[in-house]
Order: sequence, then C-alpha cells, then structure tokens
Amino acid sequence: MPTVLIPAPYRGPTRGLDRVQTTGATIGACLAAVEAQHPGFGALVLDPATGGIHRFVKLILNREVLGREASLLDRPVADSDEIEVLAAIGGG
Amino acid sequence: MPGFDDDRLLHVDMTNLTTRFEPFPAKWKLLGGRGLSAKILTAECDPTCDPLGPGNVLVMAPGVMSGTTAPTSGRISIGAKSPLTNGIKEANAGGNPGQDLMKLGIRAVIVKGQPADPNRRYGLRVDASGAKVVAADEYKNLMNYASCEKLLASEPKTASAITIGPAGELRLKGASVGCTDSDRERRPARHAARGGLGAVMGSKGLKWVLVDPGKAKTRQPLGGKDFNALTKRYTQAYLEGPQIFKHGTSTVVPVANMLNTFVYKNRTEGQSPDVQTLDGARIVENFPTRGGGMHNCMTGCIVKCSNIVHDKDGKYKTSALEFETITLLGSNCAIKTVDEVAILDRLCDELGLDTIETGAALGVLMDSGGMEWGDSAAAARVLEEITRGGETGCMIGHGVVETGRRRNHARVPHARGQAIPAWDPRPLKATGVTYAAGPMGGDHTAGLIINPGMPMDQFARASQEAQLVNMVCDSSGFCQFISPTLDDIREFYGQLYGITVSREEIANQGWECLADEWAFNEKAGWRDEDNGVARCLVEEGIGPGHAMKFDVPLEIINQSKQRFPVRDELFAIKASG
Repeated sequence: MPTVLIPAPYRGPTRGLDRVQTTGATIGACLAAVEAQHPGFGALVLDPATGGIHRFVKLILNREVLGREASLLDRPVADSDEIEVLAAIGGG
Repeated sequence: MPGFDDDRLLHVDMTNLTTRFEPFPAKWKLLGGRGLSAKILTAECDPTCDPLGPGNVLVMAPGVMSGTTAPTSGRISIGAKSPLTNGIKEANAGGNPGQDLMKLGIRAVIVKGQPADPNRRYGLRVDASGAKVVAADEYKNLMNYASCEKLLASEPKTASAITIGPAGELRLKGASVGCTDSDRERRPARHAARGGLGAVMGSKGLKWVLVDPGKAKTRQPLGGKDFNALTKRYTQAYLEGPQIFKHGTSTVVPVANMLNTFVYKNRTEGQSPDVQTLDGARIVENFPTRGGGMHNCMTGCIVKCSNIVHDKDGKYKTSALEFETITLLGSNCAIKTVDEVAILDRLCDELGLDTIETGAALGVLMDSGGMEWGDSAAAARVLEEITRGGETGCMIGHGVVETGRRRNHARVPHARGQAIPAWDPRPLKATGVTYAAGPMGGDHTAGLIINPGMPMDQFARASQEAQLVNMVCDSSGFCQFISPTLDDIREFYGQLYGITVSREEIANQGWECLADEWAFNEKAGWRDEDNGVARCLVEEGIGPGHAMKFDVPLEIINQSKQRFPVRDELFAIKASG
C-alpha cells in the first residue's frame, strides 16, 4: 500500500499522524484517500481553483522531487512507494 | 590573513572612546553568534543593569562558520540585555558584516560604557590596521539608507556597515540594528530586529560600525580538501532538493492563513480576508513588469530567499519583504496590499525599527480606536513623525506593551514584553511553549514548531529540542533557512578545525548556552512561575469557532526547561525560524 508522508504543519487533520497508508493507484488517488480518512488534509494540499497541488506544496516520490506538470496527480504509484508532501512553511 | 590562533575579541569602551584587542579564548573556539554572545554577557554584563545605561554590554558576534566558504553561513548575532524583555536577548541578521569581521579574525565586538554627552554620535572603524572610535555627529538623526550612502560613498567596495536609525538614537525599545547586504548598493536592508538592541546601541552613542576586510581572504579551514568536498556535497544536496524558500518567505502567506496563523486585526482572527492581495506571490508576479527579483543577502548564500521589491513605477522600494512583516504590518493591521506594506517596511528599515514589534503596536493602536483599521497612510505618517520626536510615533516605537499601557487597552499580545510574531501560539501551541518559557520571550526564531496535530504531552520536549537546535544554528553563522541539523553543523565544525565533534559535544553546547541565558534571566528577575504568554492569548480564541486558545498548563511549559535525555531524533531536526 503506498504511503503518504505528512509534513508536520499538516498533521492537524491527521491528529498527529506522520504517515498514512493508502490504497490509491495514482498520486491523486492516494491524496484523495488521505482526505477520506482525515478530512481537511486535501484542502491543505490541493488547489480547488486549478485541480492541481497548491503553489506552495511540493511532492517527493521515493526521494525524487516532482515537478508541477498537469499530469502529476495521474502518475502511477506502486505499493511500496512513499509520497512525501512538503509544505513551504516557516520563515520570518 | 590570520590563522585561527590569531582570532581576537575587540573591546570598545564608549565612555573613554578607546578600543583594545584581546586574544580569543581557545576554549570558546566552537562558539560564535548567539552562544558566544551568551557566554560574554554571562561573564561581563550585570543582569540587573539598566538596559539603556552604561552597564549594559552590546555584543556583535559572527557565527563560527562565518568568513568561510560554507554556504549561507555569514549571519551575525547582536546581543545585550533587552530593554523590552529585561532579559538576555540575541537577534541575528544576514548581510556581509559577519563575514567581514571574521575575515579579520574578529570573533566578537564587545561594546561597553556610554559617552558623557548623550547628544554626541560616534562611529567605529574596523579594518586590517585595527579599530578606532571616531566622531560622527554629522550622522545624527540620519535615516539608515542615507547613513549608509554617506558612510560608504568614499569607502572601498569591500566595506560593509552596521547602523542604527533615528529610532535607536531615540532609544525606542523596538529599535533594530541594520546590516548592509551584499549587493552593489549595500543597502541597510538586513536587520537584527527583535528585542530593542538598536536602542542599546543608541544608548552607547554608537551610530555605525564600518568593517573593511580589504584584501583579507576567506578563512581557510584546517580540514582542507575535505572541507571543500563537504561544502560541495552540502550545496549540491540543497540545490537538488525542494528549495522551499526560493521565492521568499512572503509566499508562506496562504498556507499560514490555512493554519489560522495569518493573524488579522490585532490577532482577533487567524485568517485574513485579504490573503490574496497580501500573498507574496503578488510580489513575484510583478518582477517581470516592475523589476526587482530574488537575490542573496550575504556573499555565499545559496538560498536566495530575499526579495527586492519595486513599486508600481518600477523604482526600488524595499528589501526584503518577509512573511512576518506582511503579517504584522499588513494583516494584523487590516492593511490590504503588499504595496502598502512595502512602504511601511521601508520606513521601518529607515528608522531602524522591528517590523514585528511595530506592526503589533500599530494593531493595538487601531484596536483601541486610535487609528482606523487598514489606514496605511496614517500608519506611515505616525512612523515618519518619529524623526521629529512625535508622541504617537515614539509610543509605537517603544513597542506593543508600552502602546497598550498608554492606550489603556487590554488586548496586548506579547510574551515577556516582546510582541508575539506571526506564528500564533494558539494554533501552534508547542511554539507557544517556546515563547512562554524560552529565554528570548516572544521570538519564533528561538524555536519554531509548526505541528498543529501534536499531542500536548509532547510540547515541552518539542520546544526544548527546537530551541537547542536553533541555538546551535544561531551560534554557527548558518542561516536557519538552509535548515542545518546538529549533525550537519558538527560535521562542518569538525572540518573547520580538523577535529571530530561528537553528537554529545554539540548537544551539550546547545544546552549549556540555553542554560547560560536562563541563568542570566533569573538573575535579572525572571521567575518560572511567571512563564507564559499574555492573558488575551489564553482567554481569547482564534480559528474555527474561536476555539483555539493557548491552554497549555504552566507545568508543561516549565518542563521545557528540564533537560530531556538526548535522543537520535534530535540530530535530524532541521533548524527552523
């Protein structure tokens, strides 16, 4: 089952969980599965205006920093894959 | 160029207007920045002194790695007893003075005493030939940009400056210390802002410090090629990673808003209706048409999170316009656009004022009916009057607590006398523990934990560990935005000196420096039973249903001061501020 790694700033909806196992076959499906388990998470990652990820979010798949192409969310994932969500947050 | 054995401390006596050098104690070789400042203040400053009197000691200390080719490692710490918190304080800045002092082998400048005539102004010139105090009355009451233009006009391109503006000269408790950035213009756009250290510098009659390393080279590490390999590897790893600050901290606005920490109208709300027009993305979008862009504030920085902001006419307005400033001078005051905040940011840089403290004070003024919400023009007028000694402006310049007192207003968000930053302790309770019990008071750079889902029983440890990591980072000269871990820092130290620095040593160093600061504050009169944040943050909520309040019990807050056993996770925590 692919795993979505949750950054600390986004662990409010997951009530502190730092990783969530999902059943999705694509990146988009995995993120939707996390939202289904932990409502509110999706809004932190996905931009409803564009249907893609928020400008300030990056995704890392098995240590590869992914781009922002339109097909990103359709990218297939394997059972052992880890999708890390990075939020650009912090700062003075 | 001196070797490390030739490193020195520069003592400056502002009563007698003399300087002298002292060999740098070998026992302190792994100390710089905040940790070194803490050691010096512990040894040489009476914690019960008047922060604006002759007994206070002002320290300017670059980090351990400053002056080397390690990436983004040139931060300089300014330290003293704070007139805001009445405790020990450190604030650090980018720009080039830290690098330049270290190229000269100067590990810290220690300023003591006070001129007999408070109306006189002085400068300190530091170069390869030595250091001397010079008369500088012609700089009196000059804004920071004018001071730097005048000072640097006839100086070599290698020189940099540390200055205060009129706010520091007036000894306003929210006054900052400015440093010139690494651009050709050498603008005083980098500020050691928090804690009123500009007022301390002003109380010593010191208007500027000019540092010219001349032909001095970067510091050569004893690790030789291994150091270079480490630098290359670290740089490559950073550049191949997500680089989350490549568009600046101002682009954090929307996510902070989602987390209910983009505070609005004197922190009565955690989200702003103006989030779109205050989003730093608006700044980035304007680069192609207005000019400006991203740049590094110090030589050798690879993060380049600093923005240069132009106005609608394409003219330079300010740099850098950061998330905290946009929050406190913008949303907190219901000011709607980044262009309006840019004007206020520039004014604060000119006057030498902390934008967080100033924005918080303006928010209290507006909340108490003393100014219309969102009236940025009125805010600008009030700040401008500071140069004429205007009463309201000076009240604002003295910070949020003084403004609340004079306005007889109850909602005054502070911790230990210092305005709470954008990162609100109510959604971010572990950060609130840092504000409540940490030696720096309401200062997110002392230990920021953005983890809203964290259970309460983890707050104390999370705060302590974040404080320890940030202490070591702020001692190293590394910028928090390159996010080094303790393992990263000890590896660099090891290559710098050709030694091995263990995990135990680096962790103990961080803890000892925190302990130094807590001990100073205790002697200054701080008591653990008083640890906490302002009542308004305990009693008034924000977020959905206004349900988020800072409800962390004192027992948990004070647990953060009892050392937890060191665990492996500590060494993977990235510095965050």
